Amino acid sequence: MRGDLKLARRLLVLAGPYRRWLALGALCATLTQLAGVGLMAVAGWFIAAMALAGVAGTPINYFLPAALIRAFAIVRTGGRYVERVVTHEATFRLLAQLRTWFFRRIEPLAPARLERRRSGDLLERIQADIDTLQNAYLRLLVPFAVGIASALVAAIVLVRVIPQAVVPVMVLMLVAGAAVPIAMRRLGEAPGTARIEARAALRMAVIDGVQGMAELRVYGAAQAQARRIHALTQALNAQQLRLARLSGLSAAIVGLCASGAMWAVALEGVVLVSRGALMPAALPMLALFVLASFDAIGPLPGAMQQVGETFAAARRVFELVDATPEVAEPKGGSPTPGDAGITLRGVRMRYGTDEAWALDGLDLELPPGRRIAVVGPSGAGKTSIVRLLLRFREYQEGTVHFGGHDLRRYRGDDLRSRIAVVSQDTWLFDTTILDNLRIADPRASDEDVFRAARAAQIHDFIVSLPEGYRTCVGEAGIKVSGGQARRIAIARALLKDAPVLLLDEPTEGLDPQTGHALVESIETLMAGRSVLVITHRLAHLGDRVDEVLVLEQGRVVERGTPAELLRRGGRYARHRDHLALPGEAY
Amino acid sequence: MSGRRPSRFENWLDAERALAQRAIAGAVGLGALAALLLIAQAWLLAWTLAGAVLQRTPLHQVLTQLWPLVPIVAGRFAVAALTEQTGMRGAIAIKEGLRDRLVRHLHALGPVFLHARHSGEVATAVVDGVEALESYYARYLPQKALALLVPVAILAFVLPRDWISALVLVASAPLIIVFMILIGSGAERRNQRQWRELARMSAHFLDALQGLVTLKIFNAARREADVIARVSDEYRRSTMAVLRIAFLSSLVLEFFSAVGIALVAVLIGFRLLRGDLGLEAGLFVLLLAPEYFLPLRTLGTHYHARMEAIAAAERIAGILEAPVPGSARAVTCPALGRAFDLRFDDVHFAYEPGRDALRGASFTLQPGRVAALVGPSGAGKSTVLNLLLGFVHAQRGRVLVGGHDLADIDPAYWLAHVAWLPQRPHLFEGSILDNIRLGKPGASVEAVRAAAREADADEFIGRLRQGYDTPVGERGQNLSGGQVQRIALARAFLKDAPLILMDEATASLDSETEARVVAALARLARGRSLLVVAHRLRTVVAADHIVVMDAGRVVEEGTHEVLARTGGLYARLVRAHDVVPDLAPPPTPDPTPDSAPAAALRPD
Repeated sequence: MRGDLKLARRLLVLAGPYRRWLALGALCATLTQLAGVGLMAVAGWFIAAMALAGVAGTPINYFLPAALIRAFAIVRTGGRYVERVVTHEATFRLLAQLRTWFFRRIEPLAPARLERRRSGDLLERIQADIDTLQNAYLRLLVPFAVGIASALVAAIVLVRVIPQAVVPVMVLMLVAGAAVPIAMRRLGEAPGTARIEARAALRMAVIDGVQGMAELRVYGAAQAQARRIHALTQALNAQQLRLARLSGLSAAIVGLCASGAMWAVALEGVVLVSRGALMPAALPMLALFVLASFDAIGPLPGAMQQVGETFAAARRVFELVDATPEVAEPKGGSPTPGDAGITLRGVRMRYGTDEAWALDGLDLELPPGRRIAVVGPSGAGKTSIVRLLLRFREYQEGTVHFGGHDLRRYRGDDLRSRIAVVSQDTWLFDTTILDNLRIADPRASDEDVFRAARAAQIHDFIVSLPEGYRTCVGEAGIKVSGGQARRIAIARALLKDAPVLLLDEPTEGLDPQTGHALVESIETLMAGRSVLVITHRLAHLGDRVDEVLVLEQGRVVERGTPAELLRRGGRYARHRDHLALPGEAY
Repeated sequence: MSGRRPSRFENWLDAERALAQRAIAGAVGLGALAALLLIAQAWLLAWTLAGAVLQRTPLHQVLTQLWPLVPIVAGRFAVAALTEQTGMRGAIAIKEGLRDRLVRHLHALGPVFLHARHSGEVATAVVDGVEALESYYARYLPQKALALLVPVAILAFVLPRDWISALVLVASAPLIIVFMILIGSGAERRNQRQWRELARMSAHFLDALQGLVTLKIFNAARREADVIARVSDEYRRSTMAVLRIAFLSSLVLEFFSAVGIALVAVLIGFRLLRGDLGLEAGLFVLLLAPEYFLPLRTLGTHYHARMEAIAAAERIAGILEAPVPGSARAVTCPALGRAFDLRFDDVHFAYEPGRDALRGASFTLQPGRVAALVGPSGAGKSTVLNLLLGFVHAQRGRVLVGGHDLADIDPAYWLAHVAWLPQRPHLFEGSILDNIRLGKPGASVEAVRAAAREADADEFIGRLRQGYDTPVGERGQNLSGGQVQRIALARAFLKDAPLILMDEATASLDSETEARVVAALARLARGRSLLVVAHRLRTVVAADHIVVMDAGRVVEEGTHEVLARTGGLYARLVRAHDVVPDLAPPPTPDPTPDSAPAAALRPD
């Protein structure tokens, strides 16, 4: 519960742009509630007064109460509708905004801070957790505002009409509207948090099971997986049952308080009427007034019970939003690079203070137009260079310059706009091929896109599809082969038209024949750019570079032109031979 | 509103209610009891107030008559405390059963069915879809019964005391129902749209989150944020469209109930004035009038639950009603031993009508050998694996294992004989240990380590800080491709199945890792049958038998030497890739550096 207030304040601040809407909604809700109270009270008074007039045979002005009844009925009916539309509209607009906000805030975290998180977990946060935040506004903020207003009005009326009943009624209202909600908050916290966790675990298990279905079947683990999901469902349900028990109990207590308050007023009224201290006709009015006032208190314990769940969701959202990106952006704007040359001097980089150095004193000079290949076994630190240059990861020692300025002075976006990347894990989005290509340059004309696709030798394939460039790819669309996906990546890089090109295992994941077939397109892409090729498949690109660096455990163990290194007969020469085995070239 | 033409999915929901029958009945009973207690309390209150107003009855006299209040209040407390959880118990039973069936059905449908769907969408149906049924069974269904029972009970008490008010109440109820139907007619369509919108949003977010790095590289994350804003806003619009209808219907409901109550009050008032009605009866009826409409209003608030449940039911039924391939026949468990041959006998298969993947494939594979499947993409190689894995079933012709038709063999029993190495092995949420013993959860740590040693994985696992307890992320994010493959190999070693099916990874590994994987694979193939969809010449050359496929048929079979000289498709395939076919290939799959004359093979 500690930190609730802080969290609540933060949620309020988030709602800033919609605070007027929410205030208007709360006002409408209060008017609605008061109209309901007025309706019951006037009706009670009206009936009793008519009966008394009937018994006494005196005339009575029934136009005023009848008019009041009508007015209250209209305000109550219309007010509720307006209130609901206003508060829901405001809240859902807010949620939509929060999703975008969340996405913008986690984007700088990628990839370094997000790589240990499953995408199902991120999805849960941006979707279900943010959805859950609606409770904070719809079920907490507005109802409590109404409850407080309603209790105040009740107190004022009772003080003026029947002060003897103020204490018991207010005590019962406090029990139902404050003590029970606070107790529910305490008792509901554990199951509420557990419920959200269980739901997240369940979703992850289901996605895991769906994506790994083939393995589950073949390894006979489907039963175990089904049992696991069953157990997670049971865990989720157990929490829901606990919450249902609690909310039943709280509803019962609130009901008890409402009845108690009504009877307290009624019996106090009986005493006063019998003593002649209260107009008899006021008695039913007061009893119904108090009963109706409790309508505003009824939803509060349930709302508080959900606080645990709501705040847990808020915490999960804020946890990521507040995470600091691995790489800090510079305060000012980026410097203008003199050229596209890159220089690394004595660079050391590691992924954690207790990890081994991934790059251990790397020197690298990539002047404009030069081509360098970095080779070495996996884990040698090749990909770390790419992460470093893209500002995905921070380096700890040494200096890196881009265009004559310290790399750290550039904003990540500005740097990345000058670097094109073709890597093994190019993501194809669930949209048309055209949109997937235009991601590199949204202003590219169709002709530009076609030209890039032709150069990447994918144009003919695309136009052979029934829907051509409008064909959807990705999870819902057609399946493109690995080679085709890589060609789309090359076309993207061509469209981006950056002076620096990073080829991070550009033929990785492809069978050798497909990889070999890509070389021509890659050659087109390399023309006129400075290129850093990360590869262990020199067979494809080895002879097209000016310099080769052989990297082992973060250190350069050999460097030189390919011919020099072959002559020298060191590691590179051995690699080179091996990499050109027939199996590789097939 | 319940009088509407029941949709197919409402019938489906109704058919599913059996598990919750008792709980629903219990919730209805409790609701009815609550109504009776409320009526009793109203009567006591009316009596008390009327006495005080008209006769100024003193308190002590009132109190002597108020003793029933104690059991009434206690009863109401108990009933209120029990109602919610009673309904919930029913919903829980249904959710449990249904999700279980969904998961098992998805398993039965297999990966080929799932391949055509968004995993996010399937997960939404299994998780949120089933959760969306909770309110329907826990609240809507009991309330539907109470919306009829409670008003009838109230009428039964009102009628003997005040038939005019009873008449007003009876007359106003159908009016409400008619209006609700008019308003609700468009709601269902909109609600289904809303569900689609949710699934769309979900799929879009997952896509954007998984492609976040690509977005960043292209500085497209800002633009994507705009798309996210648009998608979220569309979701908001469809949500509000549904809610506005719900609010409008409750507006109508409240309006008519207000009119009804006001009319009752006014009519009572004038009859009180004329002395046609006693105050006690008048107050009693006035107190009950709001309660008459309350169950309908409550039903109105749960109406949304019904629409959500129907939309969810459509998704759930969409999965549950998908036919499981080839489950109709009785199956047996013939003794296969560790050596059995595989025979495809004129096998036909199409994933969709008109899209033939296999058109009469026939070949035989001897046990204990390494066989390679080669051919251009789309030749049907993966389909052969899918058939052997039981993911799909031959539509014509037979797949025979050890002389038994695969269609007659119990799938689980058959798969116990098979290990599988896909191109991209899936690592599950959990430790490396659990991932290796996926097929044998009871395997000892020692057995797992032995398998990992065989797979050449023990060493790198040992170097990880948490060793075998290292948790693995999605697609093994913290492991390299070669490491994931060796974990998959360890899985296969631990399973110790006589038949290994493999879709050779096209991903090239660095030479050292690759050599390790190849050597481990060679160890695995020892004493087992290995069928590999091959992408590398080295693998093909090392195979005992090569099956060449094209356009769903087997076009050539034999060894590398024979096929390379025949001048058929195989020879063309080899030649097309600048590889001199008659060049002596390395004799073993274990590469020995410096062995091949590299210069001659340079692809450029």
